[in-house]
Amino acid sequence: MFSFNSFSILFVILILLGVIPNLFYTAGYLPHIKRKKYFIVNYIGFIASMLGVVLANETMVFLFFWEVMSLTSWQLILTENNKESLDAGRFYFFMTHFGFVFVLLFFLLLSSNSLFSNFEHIKIAIEGFKYPTLLFFLIAFGFLSKAGVAPLHVWLPYAHPAAPSPVSALMSGVMLKVAIYAFLRFLFMFDSWELEWGIIILALGALSSLIGVLYALAEHDIKALLANHSVENIGIILIGIGVGMIFTTLKMPLLAAFAFIAAIYHTFNHMSFKSLLFMTAGSVLHQTHTKNIEKYGGLIKLMPITAYLFLIAAISISALPPTNGFLSEWMIFQSMLSTSGISEISLKISFPFAIFALALTGGLAIACFVKAFGITFLGLYRSQNAKHAKEVNIAMLAGELLMGVVVISLMLFLPFIIKIINSSMPIANIYNKIFPNMWVMHSVSNNGGEVSPLILLFALLGVTLFVLLFFNAINPKVRVYHTWACGYQTGAKSQYTATGFAGPIRRFFKWLYKPNVHTHTQNLAGHETKFSSSFYEVHIKPLFEASLYDGTKKIVNLISYYVYKLSHFEEFNYAAFILNLIILILFSFRIFYHEISWGSVLLEVVVMTIIIKILIFRDKK
Amino acid sequence: MIEYISEFLLIFFIAPFLVGLIKSFKMFMLYKKPISPMQPYRDFSKLLKKELIYSKESSSISRWAVFGVLVPIITVIFILPPITSSSFYISFMDAFTITGLLSLSTFFLMLLGLDSASSFGGLGSSREAFIAALVEPAMILTIFSVSLIGQNIGIAKASINLANNFPLQHAASYILASISFFILLIAENGRLPVDNPETHLELTMVHEAMILDITGANLALIEMAGAIKFTIFATLFATLFIPFGSHMVWYLAFAIFILKLIAISIVVALIEINGAKLRLFKVPNLLGIAIVFAFLSLVTFYIVGA
Repeated sequence: MFSFNSFSILFVILILLGVIPNLFYTAGYLPHIKRKKYFIVNYIGFIASMLGVVLANETMVFLFFWEVMSLTSWQLILTENNKESLDAGRFYFFMTHFGFVFVLLFFLLLSSNSLFSNFEHIKIAIEGFKYPTLLFFLIAFGFLSKAGVAPLHVWLPYAHPAAPSPVSALMSGVMLKVAIYAFLRFLFMFDSWELEWGIIILALGALSSLIGVLYALAEHDIKALLANHSVENIGIILIGIGVGMIFTTLKMPLLAAFAFIAAIYHTFNHMSFKSLLFMTAGSVLHQTHTKNIEKYGGLIKLMPITAYLFLIAAISISALPPTNGFLSEWMIFQSMLSTSGISEISLKISFPFAIFALALTGGLAIACFVKAFGITFLGLYRSQNAKHAKEVNIAMLAGELLMGVVVISLMLFLPFIIKIINSSMPIANIYNKIFPNMWVMHSVSNNGGEVSPLILLFALLGVTLFVLLFFNAINPKVRVYHTWACGYQTGAKSQYTATGFAGPIRRFFKWLYKPNVHTHTQNLAGHETKFSSSFYEVHIKPLFEASLYDGTKKIVNLISYYVYKLSHFEEFNYAAFILNLIILILFSFRIFYHEISWGSVLLEVVVMTIIIKILIFRDKK
Repeated sequence: MIEYISEFLLIFFIAPFLVGLIKSFKMFMLYKKPISPMQPYRDFSKLLKKELIYSKESSSISRWAVFGVLVPIITVIFILPPITSSSFYISFMDAFTITGLLSLSTFFLMLLGLDSASSFGGLGSSREAFIAALVEPAMILTIFSVSLIGQNIGIAKASINLANNFPLQHAASYILASISFFILLIAENGRLPVDNPETHLELTMVHEAMILDITGANLALIEMAGAIKFTIFATLFATLFIPFGSHMVWYLAFAIFILKLIAISIVVALIEINGAKLRLFKVPNLLGIAIVFAFLSLVTFYIVGA
């Protein structure tokens, strides 16, 4: 029923690392929740089901836990029972079952006699299956829609923020990784991959990472901002997986192994810093009772520990050295640099585009987290909510601190973690190539780079010490005075807002955002430049939601309109309907005798349209 | 080892001179009475003695983010390519680490801008974030191209490879990469077409806006960080794209290296006096050129073949 193989154990470790600090945090958060019993039951069920999915070794067990995971997280989204969470819950429920259909189809195609078959049998069935590409697309749709890969990601920025903060941390930090686990688990059951699959995954990853970070930049809801960053980071993980798949099909096992290790290491890193970010953002939310980033400001003075933990996670997610986020992104970059072994020139040239996407993502992520940290924690409070914030209770702080420890230790114990990841995956053993000694991490390609996180950390600390000594030696006289505001008073309103901060980028990517701007200015006595009040608001609807989802919604609405009409006919219409069916059968009967001429088909279509139009759908309302 | 340490000291101490040189050369070309190139040293020593004013609105970030700006940049000096080919160099940090450390410094600078609750700071940070986000891909692609031509992603090893046997068949992609890198040199250091270092007009300033509330010794540290950053980029350009002179005796190699730095500074100054500052929303066009040239460089490299 369950299997404790090394790959499952690796993800059990990941889940436990994400869950244990979360338990502390939840303990502190619990008084804030109204429906406690409901929450606790679902919360425990959620954690248990994630462990169940990772450990399952039978189709039915896997599907059961997968569905329990979906349902409990759905219930957790509905904890707060307001309009926003109801909408998010509905969207989530639909999307998660949309994916489930594909997962179910995958298993139904493979388990010919019973759904209780072991995964060993599934593996044999996959190897014997005639159309492996179909199976690949089924798992890609099924699991990656759960992981929030563009263009099936639109539910994610709605669903994750709607849940209580500890649950958001679990969903973004851990549940997405369970989807990645499931994808990889079944991917490794194929005996060979097509080159195109790897390219598709790489392209999806590059697309997700850019889309995620761009919409994160435009977001003012701090939790939705973080949820959009989950899309970005899942994209980065997929870039790693895609590169690994491409190198595997090109028979370069060392490079493939390096890319897969990079992807899994980034999975761990994202779990750590995204959980920490959601926890600290949750603490801010807990104190200020608003998710709107424009209402924060100056919180570092009131909740310093939370602020500095957020800063650590922000530096890490922005892939700045020497943090763990930098190291995993470094590995993914290194794996993409090793194009010298690829003979096909078009594939070679496509790699720089993926590098470009990843680098642009990194640059925009820095901008986004400067915005998130700067507007939330720095400056002056922008509303009364932020003025009265206090540091959160000790249990929540303990959870945050523990997660901070996880973030830092993922960086400090890099060789150890790489070793665990490498030995638990069905890939070439390259640990000794990456770490000939403990200090320096090598890339496996022949002109690859090296990085040494620990030496870098010590160098940074050493130089800091040196500069500090110099600074103390000067011992400057210090005075504290107001910020100069050109003769006006420095106030909360004269600060930059998050909207303003992202302004240049929003304007540059106008073709993507298509922002919906409302301005309202109360001018003073006919002056064009003087005004008593001014109001600026910008709304951005995600492109994919506007096109893909709303388009689908329209078609489904249209179909359901006719189905509805069909079921609310009067008897006369049903009679006409039967007449129409008979005519259709009569007409189409000739097809079997191959007596088709375009003239007669056209005539028949006209006759049928008239009957449908006049007799069935007479009144168009 | 002596050469390694003296390279560090040279880059550290020549940095203010180069900034002063650009300014003085510009004034000379504009028929003004030029200041001495040594002026920045005097400015620094003056600033170090001045009183330090912290803003009442700012938080603990202002107290230490200055070190966060300076320290990564000083750390980068340790991992720059060697000036003489016999010198010791650090091989275990590659180009990505350098770009990462420079971004780390920019990250703290942007936080510093947002900390003092002034609209100028936010304005500067916002613009810097915009420019930095677009510089990042161009930078990484250029480095990628150089690493392919120099056969190593470690910047030091690549420069040694280029100096030892220059791959003539890749000269085209090499020149394209060098143009791209020069644009980045201008954009990252806030020189004229992207940012005007001499103005304090809110319409135009980027870097100056972020540090408007920084005073005294802190300002000296930040200005020093800016000067060193320029020298780092000039050093990278000198060692990667003008790769000769490193085989000579150490004093000749150092002299040639200093001449190269001065030449780069003068070219930057010439570009500055011959152009106006671009509008912020025209800056992506310039950076777009850098990105396209980096792409072209890579494509040329692949087509010519390794």
